[in-house]
Amino acid sequence: MSATAVPMRVSWFSRVYGLGSVYAKSLRDSRLSFIVIAGLLGGLMLVGGEAFGKAYATPESRRELHSLIESMPPILTALTGNPVNVEVLGGSISWKYGPFFVLLAGLWSILAMSGTLAVEARRGSLDFIAAGPFGKRRIALEKLGAYLTAMLGVMAVLALTAWLDGVVFYSLPGDQISVASALGFALWVGLLGIVSGAVAFALAPFIGRGGAAALAGLVMVLGFLLNGYQGAVPAFSSVAWLTWFSWATQNVPLAGQFDWPSLALVAAAAIVLMAVGVEAFARRDLGVTSSIPTPGRPPLTLGLHSPAGRIFGEALGRAVAWGLGIGIFGLLMSASSRSLSDAMAKVSPETLQIFKNLFPNFDITTPGGFLQLLFMGYGVVVVGFAAVMLVSSWASDETSGRLEMLLTTPLSRARWTLAGGVGTLGAIAVMTVLIAAGIGIGAGLAGGDALAPMVGSASLGLYAAAIAGIGFAVGGLFGTSIAAEVAAGVVIATLLVDLVAPPLNLPDWVHQLALTSHFGQPMVGSWDPVGIVASLAIAVGGVAIGVWGMARRDVNR
Amino acid sequence: MTAIIQTEKLTKYYGSHLGIADVDLEIEEGEVFGFLGPNGAGKTTTIRTILDLIRPTSGRALVFGIESSVDPVGIHRRIGYIPGEFTLYDRLTGGQTLEYFANLRGGVDKAYQASLVDRFEIDAKRRFREYSKGNKQKIGLVIALQHRPELLILDEPTSGLDPLVQQSFFALVHEAKAEGRTTFLSSHILSEVERTADRVAIIRDGRIVKVDRVEALRDLAHHQVELRFSGPVPTAEFEGLPGVSDVVADDHVLHMRVSGPITPVVRAAARFELLDFVSREPTLEETFLAQYGRHPTEASEAAKP
Repeated sequence: MSATAVPMRVSWFSRVYGLGSVYAKSLRDSRLSFIVIAGLLGGLMLVGGEAFGKAYATPESRRELHSLIESMPPILTALTGNPVNVEVLGGSISWKYGPFFVLLAGLWSILAMSGTLAVEARRGSLDFIAAGPFGKRRIALEKLGAYLTAMLGVMAVLALTAWLDGVVFYSLPGDQISVASALGFALWVGLLGIVSGAVAFALAPFIGRGGAAALAGLVMVLGFLLNGYQGAVPAFSSVAWLTWFSWATQNVPLAGQFDWPSLALVAAAAIVLMAVGVEAFARRDLGVTSSIPTPGRPPLTLGLHSPAGRIFGEALGRAVAWGLGIGIFGLLMSASSRSLSDAMAKVSPETLQIFKNLFPNFDITTPGGFLQLLFMGYGVVVVGFAAVMLVSSWASDETSGRLEMLLTTPLSRARWTLAGGVGTLGAIAVMTVLIAAGIGIGAGLAGGDALAPMVGSASLGLYAAAIAGIGFAVGGLFGTSIAAEVAAGVVIATLLVDLVAPPLNLPDWVHQLALTSHFGQPMVGSWDPVGIVASLAIAVGGVAIGVWGMARRDVNR
Repeated sequence: MTAIIQTEKLTKYYGSHLGIADVDLEIEEGEVFGFLGPNGAGKTTTIRTILDLIRPTSGRALVFGIESSVDPVGIHRRIGYIPGEFTLYDRLTGGQTLEYFANLRGGVDKAYQASLVDRFEIDAKRRFREYSKGNKQKIGLVIALQHRPELLILDEPTSGLDPLVQQSFFALVHEAKAEGRTTFLSSHILSEVERTADRVAIIRDGRIVKVDRVEALRDLAHHQVELRFSGPVPTAEFEGLPGVSDVVADDHVLHMRVSGPITPVVRAAARFELLDFVSREPTLEETFLAQYGRHPTEASEAAKP
């Protein structure tokens, strides 16, 4: 005898609460990250619009801006957007902030799409879902649908804020941003973000979440750099056409320049990659992935002899990866300083004079000056996020449930937190040395002074240490589960203050809140002791507060 | 006897949610103490408070005479602990994990550690993340046992272990007891507590409802009695007897539940022609369920208006 299962109606409460389907539950799980990314991109759009409106309120200033950008050699505009109609609000935002939008959307996509199936598969919850009355293909499609819905929401917020920029912050004719331009810009950002995430989605069933995210991140950053630097380094052009950044480079909707076919191409690539991901998930064993083969670690680097050593050992892989990545970027930047001076001498001596007037304290044709101008701004953001990842490595002792085992050995809470500080700061030191080495090699290749920028790299390490200190203080006081998130928030807030305080003419004390405004010009050997002292105080003080807080709160499971 | 663990009115609230309330326990040196209760009853909260992983809202816990929140490291130096749920370092092998925890403690006998690895049949060369649930549990057990601690605190220790490995584990607990060491064994699996523990505490809704020797707890419970008569069943003769309840006649067989002394039933039965008399001793499980199903705690009774 057999009984026929009768499908039950899903209640409205379940539907609204996100418990009615895999799609709804996935959408529900992404609500916090959606709020963060939509807020970040929308906020950046609004502050960028306001900053431009205030800083360039006259036709003369717009003309000067246009001339300045026109005269800049490709090496200086490699990491900015395509300069089209930069004398109007939309064109300027696209040029200055466009890459930020795309990289942030891409980063979120990679994190979301690499984990949407792989994380659940790894922790086992996907087994329960897969044992339900629907196939794996449908699960993958519903998860994908939830991510795309969230991205659609982000794009809607971005389009709305872009359109609002044109309404609220216009100061000269041409500043208005049409609905089509706003939608086109959001589509451009969204599709470039989706395609980067789709790489991770396609890889995750094969190599798991971590490997997929790392490879997709590498593809995104390499593609961005190849596309950006192909004007300055002709050799890059031979491969830059392979990247979606290159395909869509002529699409600048906020400036009124549309290239829909290029977006269709990006969308097609994304669809193919997502299809690969869905099929791979449907056909492969659930949760079975292959690790990317990595060389075995020498036992000494595992840190099995002390808590500080162990935390250092856990963080070392990440520190080396971040250090190598940033170091190679620094190497490329410092090595290209010679081509900058050559290009300026040949093509645009006037531009060189403009920069000398703008930055009288250092020579931008030296590796140090070049790095100070073009590397530090990005560098501090990247090392800030590296510090966040290292804090999260320390925090994983508690968030993963290991801490309970550790603290029932003769290891006190204070010693564990202190060991975490020592281990994490040690990892930051390793990362900083690698960055300095990359910069030093690049400066040496460019034939300039290598010592000053190498020593200047220490400012990046100091900033990272301060961010880690904030993470330790929060982790000790309130719980390690929010330590990395708060530290990341400080990195983002610092970036925003740095970006908007000067053009908005905000009071000086607001800009002074950003630690990054207190380092002086370390890449050219001009240090501000306030930054050094403040960083060390925050780093050491943060760990001390963490020790104090950890001794007073319950250990979480 | 010396109390190895002593809790006095130990209470823990998580915000407004009660974890445990007024938990009083005294565990003597050298005994195996079972701590029984279903999921969410407060077993893990009690253990975590004793170990100073969480701080009591009121009351206190002493281990080896040391107050847990005053010198937890002094306590941890002398204990071995396995939590109910844990993870360790994914990228380390089992052997490296054991080495690290041995280094944290110091003074671990490598030969004894190796013997434990052998007894549990652990492949120490595999990475922790590659282990099955049971093998991860074995690593946790070796971490808890490898330094021959004076006090073992084991929270659901047999979770995920196959029966053969469970046997090895219980043999180790018996060895620890033979060496005069103390074991605090938290579990919801009654049979493993029954076969291992000297004394048992039962916790319900965060409150201790009974602490006694395993045998005494059994005695406290009812007996299930069956009387088979050659003639008609005299139900009325038994219904009014003290301690007798749930009297049910089934053909020539009379079933009843007897709490307390069984003498009145024996005397009444002797007046009839009996074919059979069966009195089944209750298992700890039945005692446990009786405590849960039928007897509210005194405290909760007192709280009623």
